[in-house]
Amino acid sequence: MKRLFAVALGVLTAIGGFVDIGDLVTNAVVGSRFGLGLAWVVLVGVVGICVYAQMAGRVAAVSGRATFEIIRERLGPRAGLANLAASFLINLLTVTAEIGGVALALQLATSVDPGWWIPVAAFGVWIVIWRAKFELLENVTGMLGLALIVFAVALFMLSPDWGQLAGQALQPGPPAEEPVATYWFYAVALFGAAMTPYEVFFFSSGAIEERWTVEDLAKSRLNVLVGFPLGGLLSIAIAGCAAVVLLPRAIDVTSLSQVVLPVAEAGGKVALAFVIVGILAATFGAALETTLSSGYTLAQYFGWSWGKFRRPARAARFHLAMIIGILIAVGILATGVDPILVTEYSVVFSAVALPLTYLPILIIANDREYMGDHVNGRAMNVVGQVYLVIILAAALTAIPLLIVTGAGA
Amino acid sequence: MTEAMNTNDADATRQPAGQVLDAHLHVLDRQVLDRDAVPVTTVDDLELDGIELGARIEPGSPPPTVSAILTGPQLAMRLFGGHAPAARRIAIPWRLVADIGTVVRLGVSGDDLDAGWVERWVSRHLIGRIPGGRHDPE
Repeated sequence: MKRLFAVALGVLTAIGGFVDIGDLVTNAVVGSRFGLGLAWVVLVGVVGICVYAQMAGRVAAVSGRATFEIIRERLGPRAGLANLAASFLINLLTVTAEIGGVALALQLATSVDPGWWIPVAAFGVWIVIWRAKFELLENVTGMLGLALIVFAVALFMLSPDWGQLAGQALQPGPPAEEPVATYWFYAVALFGAAMTPYEVFFFSSGAIEERWTVEDLAKSRLNVLVGFPLGGLLSIAIAGCAAVVLLPRAIDVTSLSQVVLPVAEAGGKVALAFVIVGILAATFGAALETTLSSGYTLAQYFGWSWGKFRRPARAARFHLAMIIGILIAVGILATGVDPILVTEYSVVFSAVALPLTYLPILIIANDREYMGDHVNGRAMNVVGQVYLVIILAAALTAIPLLIVTGAGA
Repeated sequence: MTEAMNTNDADATRQPAGQVLDAHLHVLDRQVLDRDAVPVTTVDDLELDGIELGARIEPGSPPPTVSAILTGPQLAMRLFGGHAPAARRIAIPWRLVADIGTVVRLGVSGDDLDAGWVERWVSRHLIGRIPGGRHDPE
Protein backbone atom coordinates (compact mmCIF):
# COMPACT_ATOMS: atom_id res chain seq x y z
CA MET A 1 0.00 0.00 0.00
CA LYS A 2 2.82 2.32 0.91
CA ARG A 3 4.55 1.49 -2.36
CA LEU A 4 1.39 2.21 -4.29
CA PHE A 5 1.17 5.57 -2.57
CA ALA A 6 4.79 6.34 -3.43
CA VAL A 7 4.12 5.60 -7.09
CA ALA A 8 0.89 7.57 -7.06
CA LEU A 9 2.72 10.57 -5.68
CA GLY A 10 5.42 10.23 -8.28
CA VAL A 11 2.82 10.15 -10.99
CA LEU A 12 1.14 13.25 -9.67
CA THR A 13 4.51 14.94 -9.58
CA ALA A 14 5.18 14.16 -13.19
CA ILE A 15 1.85 15.65 -14.25
CA GLY A 16 2.47 18.76 -12.21
CA GLY A 17 6.02 18.91 -13.51
CA PHE A 18 5.07 18.57 -17.14
CA VAL A 19 2.38 21.22 -17.43
CA ASP A 20 3.86 24.64 -16.71
CA ILE A 21 3.34 28.18 -17.95
CA GLY A 22 5.02 27.25 -21.24
CA ASP A 23 2.61 24.40 -21.94
CA LEU A 24 -0.42 26.38 -20.76
CA VAL A 25 0.28 29.35 -23.01
CA THR A 26 1.69 27.55 -26.05
CA ASN A 27 -1.09 24.97 -26.17
CA ALA A 28 -3.78 27.63 -25.86
CA VAL A 29 -2.14 29.79 -28.54
CA VAL A 30 -1.80 26.83 -30.88
CA GLY A 31 -5.35 25.62 -30.19
CA SER A 32 -6.78 29.06 -30.93
CA ARG A 33 -4.96 29.21 -34.28
CA PHE A 34 -4.64 25.66 -35.55
CA GLY A 35 -7.27 23.75 -33.55
CA LEU A 36 -5.90 20.29 -32.83
CA GLY A 37 -3.79 20.41 -36.01
CA LEU A 38 -0.58 20.31 -33.94
CA ALA A 39 -1.72 17.69 -31.42
CA TRP A 40 0.74 15.28 -33.06
CA VAL A 41 3.62 17.47 -31.85
CA VAL A 42 2.48 16.98 -28.25
CA LEU A 43 2.55 13.22 -28.84
CA VAL A 44 6.06 13.40 -30.32
CA GLY A 45 7.15 15.63 -27.43
CA VAL A 46 5.69 13.35 -24.76
CA VAL A 47 7.42 10.26 -26.14
CA GLY A 48 10.62 12.34 -26.37
CA ILE A 49 10.51 13.55 -22.77
CA CYS A 50 9.76 9.98 -21.65
CA VAL A 51 12.86 8.69 -23.48
CA TYR A 52 15.04 11.53 -22.21
CA ALA A 53 13.84 11.50 -18.59
CA GLN A 54 13.93 7.73 -18.43
CA MET A 55 17.59 7.72 -19.52
CA ALA A 56 18.57 10.58 -17.19
CA GLY A 57 16.70 8.99 -14.28
CA ARG A 58 18.35 5.64 -14.91
CA VAL A 59 21.82 7.21 -15.13
CA ALA A 60 21.22 9.07 -11.88
CA ALA A 61 19.84 6.03 -10.04
CA VAL A 62 22.55 3.62 -11.20
CA SER A 63 25.65 5.81 -11.19
CA GLY A 64 24.62 8.40 -8.61
CA ARG A 65 25.82 11.13 -10.98
CA ALA A 66 23.54 13.98 -12.03
CA THR A 67 23.25 15.40 -15.54
CA PHE A 68 25.67 18.31 -15.36
CA GLU A 69 28.46 16.41 -13.61
CA ILE A 70 28.34 14.07 -16.57
CA ILE A 71 28.25 16.87 -19.12
CA ARG A 72 31.42 18.38 -17.62
CA GLU A 73 33.16 14.99 -17.50
CA ARG A 74 32.32 14.10 -21.07
CA LEU A 75 32.66 17.46 -22.81
CA GLY A 76 35.55 18.85 -20.79
CA PRO A 77 35.67 22.30 -19.17
CA ARG A 78 35.34 24.46 -22.30
CA ALA A 79 32.49 22.81 -24.18
CA GLY A 80 30.95 22.07 -20.79
CA LEU A 81 31.04 25.77 -19.87
CA ALA A 82 29.48 26.80 -23.18
CA ASN A 83 26.78 24.23 -22.54
CA LEU A 84 26.33 25.47 -18.97
CA ALA A 85 26.02 29.07 -20.12
CA ALA A 86 23.35 28.24 -22.71
CA SER A 87 21.40 25.92 -20.41
CA PHE A 88 21.64 28.27 -17.45
CA LEU A 89 20.48 31.37 -19.37
CA ILE A 90 17.53 29.57 -20.93
CA ASN A 91 16.65 28.12 -17.56
CA LEU A 92 16.80 31.61 -16.05
CA LEU A 93 14.39 32.77 -18.76
CA THR A 94 12.09 29.92 -17.75
CA VAL A 95 12.37 30.90 -14.05
CA THR A 96 11.32 34.40 -15.07
CA ALA A 97 8.38 33.06 -17.06
CA GLU A 98 7.20 30.81 -14.23
CA ILE A 99 7.42 33.50 -11.53
CA GLY A 100 5.56 35.80 -13.90
CA GLY A 101 3.03 33.00 -14.39
CA VAL A 102 2.47 32.71 -10.63
CA ALA A 103 1.89 36.48 -10.52
CA LEU A 104 -0.58 36.27 -13.42
CA ALA A 105 -2.46 33.40 -11.77
CA LEU A 106 -2.68 35.44 -8.56
CA GLN A 107 -3.94 38.35 -10.63
CA LEU A 108 -6.69 36.12 -12.07
CA ALA A 109 -7.72 35.22 -8.54
CA THR A 110 -7.61 38.70 -7.04
CA SER A 111 -7.66 41.28 -9.87
CA VAL A 112 -4.63 42.89 -8.22
CA ASP A 113 -2.03 44.02 -10.75
CA PRO A 114 0.68 41.35 -11.30
CA GLY A 115 3.37 43.95 -10.58
CA TRP A 116 2.38 43.69 -6.91
CA TRP A 117 2.37 39.92 -6.98
CA ILE A 118 5.83 39.41 -8.53
CA PRO A 119 7.81 40.08 -5.30
CA VAL A 120 5.30 37.97 -3.34
CA ALA A 121 5.65 35.08 -5.79
CA ALA A 122 9.44 35.34 -5.81
CA PHE A 123 9.62 35.41 -2.01
CA GLY A 124 7.25 32.43 -1.85
CA VAL A 125 9.46 30.44 -4.20
CA TRP A 126 12.57 31.30 -2.21
CA ILE A 127 11.13 30.54 1.24
CA VAL A 128 9.87 27.13 0.08
CA ILE A 129 13.27 26.27 -1.40
CA TRP A 130 14.97 27.56 1.73
CA ARG A 131 12.88 25.73 4.31
CA ALA A 132 10.65 22.98 2.88
CA LYS A 133 11.64 19.35 2.42
CA PHE A 134 12.01 18.09 -1.12
CA GLU A 135 9.18 15.51 -0.89
CA LEU A 136 6.82 18.07 0.59
CA LEU A 137 7.25 20.62 -2.18
CA GLU A 138 7.00 17.91 -4.84
CA ASN A 139 3.85 16.32 -3.45
CA VAL A 140 1.89 19.45 -2.61
CA THR A 141 2.39 21.16 -5.95
CA GLY A 142 1.86 17.90 -7.85
CA MET A 143 -1.36 17.16 -6.01
CA LEU A 144 -2.84 20.66 -6.42
CA GLY A 145 -1.65 20.76 -10.03
CA LEU A 146 -4.06 17.91 -10.68
CA ALA A 147 -6.83 20.52 -10.56
CA LEU A 148 -5.81 21.23 -14.17
CA ILE A 149 -7.83 18.13 -15.11
CA VAL A 150 -10.66 20.65 -15.20
CA PHE A 151 -9.45 21.44 -18.76
CA ALA A 152 -10.36 17.89 -19.82
CA VAL A 153 -13.68 18.09 -17.97
CA ALA A 154 -14.42 21.44 -19.58
CA LEU A 155 -13.74 20.02 -23.02
CA PHE A 156 -16.46 17.40 -22.46
CA MET A 157 -18.85 19.97 -20.96
CA LEU A 158 -18.47 22.15 -24.05
CA SER A 159 -19.89 19.19 -26.03
CA PRO A 160 -17.77 19.94 -29.08
CA ASP A 161 -18.12 18.43 -32.54
CA TRP A 162 -15.79 15.49 -31.85
CA GLY A 163 -15.66 14.55 -35.52
CA GLN A 164 -14.33 17.98 -36.40
CA LEU A 165 -11.70 17.87 -33.62
CA ALA A 166 -10.59 14.40 -34.69
CA GLY A 167 -10.43 15.63 -38.26
CA GLN A 168 -8.07 18.47 -37.22
CA ALA A 169 -5.90 16.08 -35.24
CA LEU A 170 -5.71 13.41 -37.92
CA GLN A 171 -4.99 15.71 -40.84
CA PRO A 172 -1.83 17.48 -39.79
CA GLY A 173 -0.48 20.21 -42.01
CA PRO A 174 -0.74 23.97 -42.17
CA PRO A 175 -4.25 25.36 -42.73
CA ALA A 176 -4.82 27.31 -45.94
CA GLU A 177 -5.03 30.72 -44.25
CA GLU A 178 -1.75 30.39 -42.27
CA PRO A 179 1.77 30.47 -43.77
CA VAL A 180 3.70 27.19 -43.71
CA ALA A 181 6.55 28.73 -41.69
CA THR A 182 4.17 29.85 -38.93
CA TYR A 183 2.81 26.32 -38.64
CA TRP A 184 6.29 24.90 -38.22
CA PHE A 185 7.31 27.68 -35.84
CA TYR A 186 4.50 26.68 -33.50
CA ALA A 187 5.38 23.03 -33.96
CA VAL A 188 8.92 23.76 -32.69
CA ALA A 189 7.58 25.94 -29.84
CA LEU A 190 5.19 23.19 -28.75
CA PHE A 191 7.99 20.63 -28.91
CA GLY A 192 10.19 22.93 -26.78
CA ALA A 193 7.36 23.38 -24.27
CA ALA A 194 6.97 19.60 -23.94
CA MET A 195 10.69 18.80 -23.80
CA THR A 196 11.99 21.60 -21.58
CA PRO A 197 15.55 20.77 -20.41
CA TYR A 198 14.86 21.80 -16.79
CA GLU A 199 12.44 18.88 -16.47
CA VAL A 200 15.41 16.55 -16.95
CA PHE A 201 17.87 18.47 -14.72
CA PHE A 202 15.20 18.36 -12.06
CA PHE A 203 14.28 14.72 -12.63
CA SER A 204 17.86 13.46 -12.50
CA SER A 205 18.94 15.67 -9.58
CA GLY A 206 15.67 14.83 -7.81
CA ALA A 207 16.48 11.13 -8.13
CA ILE A 208 19.70 11.83 -6.21
CA GLU A 209 17.88 14.03 -3.66
CA GLU A 210 15.56 11.10 -2.99
CA ARG A 211 18.52 8.70 -2.96
CA TRP A 212 17.27 6.45 -5.71
CA THR A 213 19.19 3.27 -6.36
CA VAL A 214 18.94 0.45 -8.89
CA GLU A 215 15.92 -0.89 -6.96
CA ASP A 216 14.02 2.28 -7.75
CA LEU A 217 14.33 1.87 -11.51
CA ALA A 218 10.85 0.33 -11.84
CA LYS A 219 9.39 3.25 -9.91
CA SER A 220 11.24 5.69 -12.13
CA ARG A 221 9.93 4.00 -15.26
CA LEU A 222 6.34 4.02 -14.01
CA ASN A 223 6.58 7.69 -13.00
CA VAL A 224 7.81 8.58 -16.44
CA LEU A 225 5.49 6.37 -18.45
CA VAL A 226 2.31 7.37 -16.61
CA GLY A 227 3.03 10.91 -15.48
CA PHE A 228 4.30 12.51 -18.68
CA PRO A 229 1.62 11.00 -20.98
CA LEU A 230 -1.08 12.22 -18.59
CA GLY A 231 0.57 15.64 -18.72
CA GLY A 232 0.44 15.38 -22.52
CA LEU A 233 -3.29 14.57 -22.40
CA LEU A 234 -3.84 17.71 -20.31
CA SER A 235 -1.87 19.70 -22.90
CA ILE A 236 -4.10 18.42 -25.68
CA ALA A 237 -7.19 19.20 -23.58
CA ILE A 238 -5.95 22.80 -23.20
CA ALA A 239 -5.49 23.06 -26.96
CA GLY A 240 -8.89 21.38 -27.50
CA CYS A 241 -10.67 23.89 -25.26
CA ALA A 242 -9.04 26.75 -27.16
CA ALA A 243 -9.95 25.09 -30.48
CA VAL A 244 -13.63 24.86 -29.51
CA VAL A 245 -14.14 28.27 -27.93
CA LEU A 246 -11.43 30.64 -29.19
CA LEU A 247 -10.75 29.46 -32.76
CA PRO A 248 -14.27 30.06 -34.16
CA ARG A 249 -14.31 33.58 -32.68
CA ALA A 250 -10.78 34.33 -33.89
CA ILE A 251 -9.65 35.28 -30.35
CA ASP A 252 -5.86 35.52 -30.11
CA VAL A 253 -4.37 34.30 -26.85
CA THR A 254 -2.28 37.11 -25.38
CA SER A 255 -3.07 36.68 -21.69
CA LEU A 256 -3.83 34.04 -19.11
CA SER A 257 -7.47 35.12 -18.91
CA GLN A 258 -7.93 33.95 -22.50
CA VAL A 259 -6.33 30.60 -21.65
CA VAL A 260 -8.96 29.99 -18.95
CA LEU A 261 -11.89 31.55 -20.86
CA PRO A 262 -13.12 28.20 -22.29
CA VAL A 263 -13.09 26.61 -18.84
CA ALA A 264 -15.08 29.49 -17.35
CA GLU A 265 -17.56 29.28 -20.20
CA ALA A 266 -18.03 25.54 -19.73
CA GLY A 267 -18.15 25.26 -15.95
CA GLY A 268 -18.73 28.73 -14.57
CA LYS A 269 -17.23 29.96 -11.32
CA VAL A 270 -16.53 26.54 -9.81
CA ALA A 271 -14.52 25.44 -12.83
CA LEU A 272 -12.74 28.79 -12.85
CA ALA A 273 -11.76 28.30 -9.21
CA PHE A 274 -10.34 24.88 -10.03
CA VAL A 275 -8.39 26.11 -13.02
CA ILE A 276 -6.89 29.01 -11.04
CA VAL A 277 -5.76 26.65 -8.27
CA GLY A 278 -4.35 24.31 -10.91
CA ILE A 279 -2.46 27.04 -12.76
CA LEU A 280 -1.16 28.49 -9.51
CA ALA A 281 0.12 25.09 -8.37
CA ALA A 282 1.57 24.20 -11.78
CA THR A 283 3.42 27.50 -12.25
CA PHE A 284 4.56 27.62 -8.62
CA GLY A 285 5.78 24.02 -8.84
CA ALA A 286 7.57 24.79 -12.09
CA ALA A 287 9.08 27.95 -10.56
CA LEU A 288 10.51 25.77 -7.77
CA GLU A 289 11.81 23.20 -10.25
CA THR A 290 13.44 25.75 -12.55
CA THR A 291 15.00 27.67 -9.66
CA LEU A 292 16.41 24.46 -8.21
CA SER A 293 17.62 23.49 -11.69
CA SER A 294 19.60 26.71 -11.98
CA GLY A 295 21.35 25.82 -8.71
CA TYR A 296 21.81 22.18 -9.74
CA THR A 297 23.45 22.99 -13.08
CA LEU A 298 25.95 25.48 -11.63
CA ALA A 299 26.81 23.35 -8.59
CA GLN A 300 27.27 20.19 -10.63
CA TYR A 301 29.53 21.85 -13.19
CA PHE A 302 31.80 23.41 -10.55
CA GLY A 303 31.62 20.50 -8.12
CA TRP A 304 29.96 22.47 -5.31
CA SER A 305 28.00 20.84 -2.53
CA TRP A 306 24.31 20.85 -3.49
CA GLY A 307 20.95 19.40 -2.59
CA LYS A 308 17.86 20.19 -0.62
CA PHE A 309 18.55 17.29 1.72
CA ARG A 310 21.42 19.34 3.17
CA ARG A 311 20.85 22.34 5.39
CA PRO A 312 21.50 25.56 3.41
CA ALA A 313 24.74 26.35 5.26
CA ARG A 314 26.10 22.97 4.05
CA ALA A 315 25.31 23.83 0.41
CA ALA A 316 26.05 27.53 0.62
CA ARG A 317 27.05 28.38 -2.95
CA PHE A 318 24.12 26.33 -4.29
CA HIS A 319 21.67 28.41 -2.26
CA LEU A 320 23.46 31.67 -3.02
CA ALA A 321 23.23 30.92 -6.77
CA MET A 322 19.48 30.32 -6.50
CA ILE A 323 18.93 33.54 -4.53
CA ILE A 324 20.81 35.48 -7.21
CA GLY A 325 18.82 33.69 -9.92
CA ILE A 326 15.50 34.65 -8.34
CA LEU A 327 16.67 38.27 -7.96
CA ILE A 328 17.63 38.41 -11.65
CA ALA A 329 14.24 36.98 -12.64
CA VAL A 330 12.48 39.62 -10.52
CA GLY A 331 14.71 42.26 -12.11
CA ILE A 332 13.68 41.14 -15.60
CA LEU A 333 9.98 41.15 -14.64
CA ALA A 334 10.37 44.58 -12.99
CA THR A 335 11.12 46.07 -16.41
CA GLY A 336 7.44 45.50 -17.13
CA VAL A 337 8.03 42.86 -19.81
CA ASP A 338 4.96 40.69 -20.48
CA PRO A 339 5.51 37.27 -18.80
CA ILE A 340 3.52 35.63 -21.63
CA LEU A 341 6.05 37.00 -24.12
CA VAL A 342 8.96 35.72 -21.97
CA THR A 343 7.24 32.34 -21.94
CA GLU A 344 6.89 32.23 -25.72
CA TYR A 345 10.58 32.96 -26.18
CA SER A 346 11.66 30.55 -23.44
CA VAL A 347 9.98 27.54 -25.08
CA VAL A 348 11.60 28.30 -28.45
CA PHE A 349 15.07 28.65 -26.90
CA SER A 350 14.46 25.46 -24.91
CA ALA A 351 14.22 23.67 -28.23
CA VAL A 352 17.51 25.29 -29.31
CA ALA A 353 19.39 24.13 -26.19
CA LEU A 354 17.98 20.63 -26.03
CA PRO A 355 20.68 18.73 -28.01
CA LEU A 356 23.40 20.13 -25.70
CA THR A 357 22.10 18.13 -22.76
CA TYR A 358 20.42 15.28 -24.60
CA LEU A 359 23.50 13.96 -26.39
CA PRO A 360 25.77 13.51 -23.31
CA ILE A 361 22.99 11.63 -21.53
CA LEU A 362 22.49 9.36 -24.54
CA ILE A 363 26.24 8.61 -24.56
CA ILE A 364 26.51 7.93 -20.82
CA ALA A 365 23.41 5.71 -20.89
CA ASN A 366 25.54 3.43 -23.10
CA ASP A 367 28.71 3.59 -20.95
CA ARG A 368 29.32 0.42 -18.92
CA GLU A 369 31.72 2.16 -16.54
CA TYR A 370 28.79 4.17 -15.23
CA MET A 371 25.88 1.90 -15.97
CA GLY A 372 27.14 -1.67 -15.55
CA ASP A 373 24.44 -3.96 -16.91
CA HIS A 374 21.87 -1.17 -17.01
CA VAL A 375 23.05 0.33 -20.30
CA ASN A 376 20.49 1.13 -22.99
CA GLY A 377 18.96 -1.84 -24.74
CA ARG A 378 18.88 -1.98 -28.52
CA ALA A 379 15.28 -0.74 -28.82
CA MET A 380 16.00 2.18 -26.46
CA ASN A 381 19.03 3.15 -28.55
CA VAL A 382 17.04 3.10 -31.79
CA VAL A 383 14.38 5.36 -30.25
CA GLY A 384 17.09 7.48 -28.63
CA GLN A 385 18.81 8.06 -31.95
CA VAL A 386 15.59 8.80 -33.82
CA TYR A 387 14.93 11.47 -31.19
CA LEU A 388 18.45 12.81 -31.53
CA VAL A 389 17.62 13.56 -35.18
CA ILE A 390 14.27 15.14 -34.28
CA ILE A 391 15.82 17.23 -31.51
CA LEU A 392 18.63 18.42 -33.78
CA ALA A 393 16.12 19.34 -36.51
CA ALA A 394 14.01 21.34 -34.04
CA ALA A 395 17.09 23.05 -32.59
CA LEU A 396 18.53 24.04 -35.97
CA THR A 397 15.25 25.36 -37.40
CA ALA A 398 14.03 27.15 -34.26
CA ILE A 399 15.89 30.46 -34.66
CA PRO A 400 15.45 30.76 -38.46
CA LEU A 401 11.71 30.12 -38.00
CA LEU A 402 11.59 32.64 -35.15
CA ILE A 403 13.07 35.31 -37.43
CA VAL A 404 11.13 34.43 -40.59
CA THR A 405 7.75 34.37 -38.84
CA GLY A 406 8.42 37.33 -36.53
CA ALA A 407 7.82 35.03 -33.52
CA GLY A 408 4.67 33.57 -35.05
CA ALA A 409 2.91 36.88 -35.66
CA MET B 1 47.30 4.07 -3.80
CA THR B 2 48.04 0.90 -5.72
CA GLU B 3 46.82 2.21 -9.06
CA ALA B 4 49.45 3.39 -11.47
CA MET B 5 48.76 6.54 -13.41
CA ASN B 6 49.02 6.23 -17.14
CA THR B 7 49.62 9.79 -18.31
CA ASN B 8 49.36 10.76 -21.95
CA ASP B 9 53.09 10.59 -22.58
CA ALA B 10 53.74 7.42 -20.62
CA ASP B 11 55.68 4.69 -22.33
CA ALA B 12 53.19 2.38 -24.02
CA THR B 13 55.35 -0.68 -23.50
CA ARG B 14 55.55 -0.21 -19.74
CA GLN B 15 53.05 -2.51 -18.04
CA PRO B 16 52.35 -1.28 -14.52
CA ALA B 17 50.77 -3.57 -11.97
CA GLY B 18 47.22 -2.83 -10.81
CA GLN B 19 44.39 -0.86 -12.37
CA VAL B 20 45.37 1.39 -15.28
CA LEU B 21 43.67 4.80 -15.41
CA ASP B 22 43.89 7.39 -18.12
CA ALA B 23 44.40 10.66 -16.28
CA HIS B 24 42.54 12.63 -18.93
CA LEU B 25 39.63 10.23 -19.27
CA HIS B 26 39.20 8.89 -15.74
CA VAL B 27 40.38 11.63 -13.42
CA LEU B 28 40.13 15.11 -14.97
CA ASP B 29 36.77 16.85 -14.55
CA ARG B 30 35.49 14.21 -12.16
CA GLN B 31 33.58 15.13 -9.01
CA VAL B 32 35.66 15.01 -5.82
CA LEU B 33 33.76 13.80 -2.73
CA ASP B 34 35.06 13.87 0.82
CA ARG B 35 34.94 11.09 3.43
CA ASP B 36 31.23 11.80 4.09
CA ALA B 37 30.29 11.92 0.38
CA VAL B 38 30.00 15.73 0.47
CA PRO B 39 31.10 17.31 -2.84
CA VAL B 40 34.33 19.28 -2.43
CA THR B 41 35.17 20.36 -5.96
CA THR B 42 35.76 19.00 -9.43
CA VAL B 43 39.21 17.84 -10.56
CA ASP B 44 40.10 21.04 -12.43
CA ASP B 45 43.69 19.96 -13.13
CA LEU B 46 46.43 17.63 -11.93
CA GLU B 47 49.92 18.49 -10.68
CA LEU B 48 52.63 16.16 -11.97
CA ASP B 49 56.00 15.67 -10.29
CA GLY B 50 59.12 14.54 -12.07
CA ILE B 51 58.38 16.18 -15.41
CA GLU B 52 59.31 19.62 -16.73
CA LEU B 53 56.89 21.42 -19.03
CA GLY B 54 58.45 21.66 -22.49
CA ALA B 55 61.56 19.71 -21.52
CA ARG B 56 62.62 16.66 -23.51
CA ILE B 57 61.93 13.33 -21.81
CA GLU B 58 65.07 11.19 -21.83
CA PRO B 59 64.49 7.49 -22.56
CA GLY B 60 64.64 5.44 -19.38
CA SER B 61 63.80 8.36 -17.10
CA PRO B 62 61.47 7.50 -14.18
CA PRO B 63 57.73 7.99 -14.89
CA PRO B 64 56.14 11.16 -13.54
CA THR B 65 53.84 10.85 -10.54
CA VAL B 66 50.64 12.71 -9.78
CA SER B 67 51.25 14.84 -6.71
CA ALA B 68 48.02 16.82 -6.32
CA ILE B 69 44.54 17.66 -7.55
CA LEU B 70 44.41 21.34 -8.48
CA THR B 71 41.32 23.53 -8.29
CA GLY B 72 40.19 27.14 -8.00
CA PRO B 73 42.08 29.45 -10.39
CA GLN B 74 43.31 26.35 -12.22
CA LEU B 75 39.92 26.00 -13.93
CA ALA B 76 40.29 29.44 -15.48
CA MET B 77 43.79 28.45 -16.67
CA ARG B 78 42.36 25.43 -18.44
CA LEU B 79 39.51 27.45 -19.90
CA PHE B 80 41.45 30.46 -21.11
CA GLY B 81 45.10 29.36 -20.99
CA GLY B 82 47.96 30.99 -19.11
CA HIS B 83 49.66 30.15 -15.85
CA ALA B 84 48.68 30.72 -12.25
CA PRO B 85 51.50 31.64 -9.85
CA ALA B 86 52.28 28.65 -7.65
CA ALA B 87 51.29 30.63 -4.56
CA ARG B 88 47.71 30.98 -5.76
CA ARG B 89 47.21 27.32 -6.55
CA ILE B 90 44.69 25.43 -4.47
CA ALA B 91 45.89 21.86 -4.21
CA ILE B 92 44.55 18.69 -2.65
CA PRO B 93 47.55 16.41 -2.03
CA TRP B 94 47.23 13.15 -3.94
CA ARG B 95 47.91 11.09 -0.81
CA LEU B 96 44.47 12.12 0.49
CA VAL B 97 42.76 10.29 -2.38
CA ALA B 98 41.19 7.06 -1.15
CA ASP B 99 39.45 5.71 -4.22
CA ILE B 100 38.80 6.47 -7.88
CA GLY B 101 35.63 5.32 -9.57
CA THR B 102 33.08 7.46 -11.37
CA VAL B 103 34.06 9.95 -8.65
CA VAL B 104 37.29 10.70 -6.81
CA ARG B 105 36.85 9.97 -3.10
CA LEU B 106 39.01 11.52 -0.41
CA GLY B 107 39.82 9.85 2.88
CA VAL B 108 39.42 13.07 4.88
CA SER B 109 36.70 15.59 5.64
CA GLY B 110 36.41 18.46 3.14
CA ASP B 111 35.95 20.95 6.00
CA ASP B 112 39.69 21.16 6.66
CA LEU B 113 40.85 21.51 3.07
CA ASP B 114 42.00 24.73 1.42
CA ALA B 115 39.83 23.74 -1.55
CA GLY B 116 36.72 24.41 0.56
CA TRP B 117 37.47 27.98 1.60
CA VAL B 118 35.02 29.72 -0.78
CA GLU B 119 32.21 27.42 0.31
CA ARG B 120 33.05 28.04 3.97
CA TRP B 121 33.24 31.80 3.43
CA VAL B 122 29.85 31.97 1.69
CA SER B 123 28.38 29.70 4.34
CA ARG B 124 29.75 31.68 7.28
CA HIS B 125 29.21 35.21 6.02
CA LEU B 126 26.13 35.00 3.80
CA ILE B 127 23.98 31.86 3.85
CA GLY B 128 24.55 31.01 7.52
CA ARG B 129 23.38 34.48 8.55
CA ILE B 130 19.96 34.22 6.90
CA PRO B 131 17.42 32.89 9.45
CA GLY B 132 16.95 29.15 9.04
CA GLY B 133 20.18 28.73 7.14
CA ARG B 134 21.69 26.43 9.73
CA HIS B 135 18.61 24.25 10.21
CA ASP B 136 17.47 21.12 8.44
CA PRO B 137 14.61 21.64 5.98
CA GLU B 138 11.15 20.77 7.35
